[in-house]
Amino acid sequence: MKKDGNLSVLLNGIIKENPTLVLILGTCPTLATTTNVFGAFGMGVATLAVLICSNILISLLRRVIPDNVRIPCYIVIIAGFVTIVQMLVHAFIPDLYDMLGVYLALIVVNCIILGRAEMFAGKNSVGRSALDGLGMGIGFTLALCSMAAIREVFGAASFAGIAIPALENYKIEFLVKAPGGMLVYGLLIALVGIITAGKAPKKKSFSCAGCPGAHICGSSDCAKGKEEA
Amino acid sequence: MKKSIRSIIVLVSICAVVSILMALTNSVTAPIIAENDAKNANAALLQVLPDGGSFETVDMSAYTLPSTVTAVYRASNGGCVVQLTTSGYSSGMVIMCGINPDGTVSGSKILSSSETPSIGGEAAERFAPTLNGKTAGDIETVEIISGATKTTAAYRSAVKDALNTALILGGASIDTRTEEEILQDNLDSALPTAQGKFTKHFFVEVIEGIDAIYTADNNAGHVCVLGEKFVGVDNEGNALTECTEDEAQTVKTAIETINATATELVDLSAYEGLPSQLIQAQKSATGNYIIEIKAAGYGIVGGDEYHPASGEYIMVRVSITADGRIIDCLTVSQAETEGIGDACAKESFYGQFDGKTEADYTEIDAISGATLTTNGYKQAIGRAFDCVKIFEGVNS
Repeated sequence: MKKDGNLSVLLNGIIKENPTLVLILGTCPTLATTTNVFGAFGMGVATLAVLICSNILISLLRRVIPDNVRIPCYIVIIAGFVTIVQMLVHAFIPDLYDMLGVYLALIVVNCIILGRAEMFAGKNSVGRSALDGLGMGIGFTLALCSMAAIREVFGAASFAGIAIPALENYKIEFLVKAPGGMLVYGLLIALVGIITAGKAPKKKSFSCAGCPGAHICGSSDCAKGKEEA
Repeated sequence: MKKSIRSIIVLVSICAVVSILMALTNSVTAPIIAENDAKNANAALLQVLPDGGSFETVDMSAYTLPSTVTAVYRASNGGCVVQLTTSGYSSGMVIMCGINPDGTVSGSKILSSSETPSIGGEAAERFAPTLNGKTAGDIETVEIISGATKTTAAYRSAVKDALNTALILGGASIDTRTEEEILQDNLDSALPTAQGKFTKHFFVEVIEGIDAIYTADNNAGHVCVLGEKFVGVDNEGNALTECTEDEAQTVKTAIETINATATELVDLSAYEGLPSQLIQAQKSATGNYIIEIKAAGYGIVGGDEYHPASGEYIMVRVSITADGRIIDCLTVSQAETEGIGDACAKESFYGQFDGKTEADYTEIDAISGATLTTNGYKQAIGRAFDCVKIFEGVNS
């Protein structure tokens, strides 16, 4: 992989390698917390905070952590930060805590964070890892917020809890339900696909090459990825 | 070997550091979270008692409170909030009720229940505001909502319990007995020699001024109910309880009448067209009839694969004057569904037929949720009227 510039590390996460809409990671919280813009923004920021902190720490420790206990170490660090964020949100933004419920704790198993730790922070310098975390976090937050905006405005005739009287009689309640979320999600993925047409990363550049199992995986794609890496 | 020891050390130290970080955060946030929780709990209490200020839990063991009360909070403004668990249409309806310092209801709400959301749950929401401002004295004047009788009646009685609780906390001694207990206590004090065992007398004659007569099972005498007054009498009708001369005369006449009442069996084979449900009929010397008749309630017509009906009729005894007015009515036996149709064995149901004629006997309040039982019962009463007409030779 060629080294990107610092700015493109930051911008990558927003559109080109948007974690939810291009890498299709963190689908569960994306669908679950986007019925309300406030909740989606809170979820995005909480994830952003955990992502930056875990990226920085993992990058700092990347030479200390032995390869064979890499994953448990990452999980402990991520789980620690998530728990800390959870306690802080519970104490200082109880409304958000009630709204996000179990999804806040589930940031631990959010693929985006472990994915970035594995693919980026474990291999790059502290500064670049922080930028990557920031970019990915912003990308995640933007994706969540735009999805929540569509679902809330057209599905519940409100924005961040503020009612929009003009749409009151034209609610498409289907959008607030899970299948409606899937639909909006699919449309957004398509939209981002159009915007990034041709420029989006090839599958192998972020999958097999970065895959921790590439060296034991027998798949021909992986073998190819290994060579390239 | 060296490599694996290093792995262990690194993982353990990361775990340790992360744990310390979490412990530090927790020590900062835990008190704030606890404070928020307390504020939220307070907010729930403030919803039913908006002027309450702050609340403290009352030690319930220091008072004799109605059995439905599960928690009591005293508000700093002098009012209180009572949490109660009662049974509406199904059990486990938890209600929170706020009481103002002046003893009126400030607000009430259901915290959790298994009532049918669209029926009882919805009705309770409409019902709650109508209770606001009521006191223990006038809360019974609030009409319960038809279609959700059980839910709203239970709701009202729970709120009444809450009002009584507030009075008890204020130092008053409140009668928390049920209607049955009150009746039993009244009977006991009117005729202590009966040792607490009474059977309600089944009227065959119309007796003016007497609402009910209870006969002691040990033949110690009777208790006559004259409106609110319970008069104990001996077997000859002499009043044992202090009462006015008029009352003494009334009870004496009553006891003499019931002692003199002689009945004879009616020979059913002498008549044609009697309903097959008729078991037996007696005629009193004064020309009144006592009809014993089977009513086909849920036990006969109801039931399916999952809810097998009992196969038993409801046995009804009804006394009717020759000109077709019900004197008394009684459910002798029944095997209707427990908690639903078995309400037909309660006086609150069959007592409604007293004084009714063929023209208006159908205008009684049905048993909520037991249409088949109610209809079967009404049909049996209708057939009893038919019997009397046949005995009297009236062409119907």
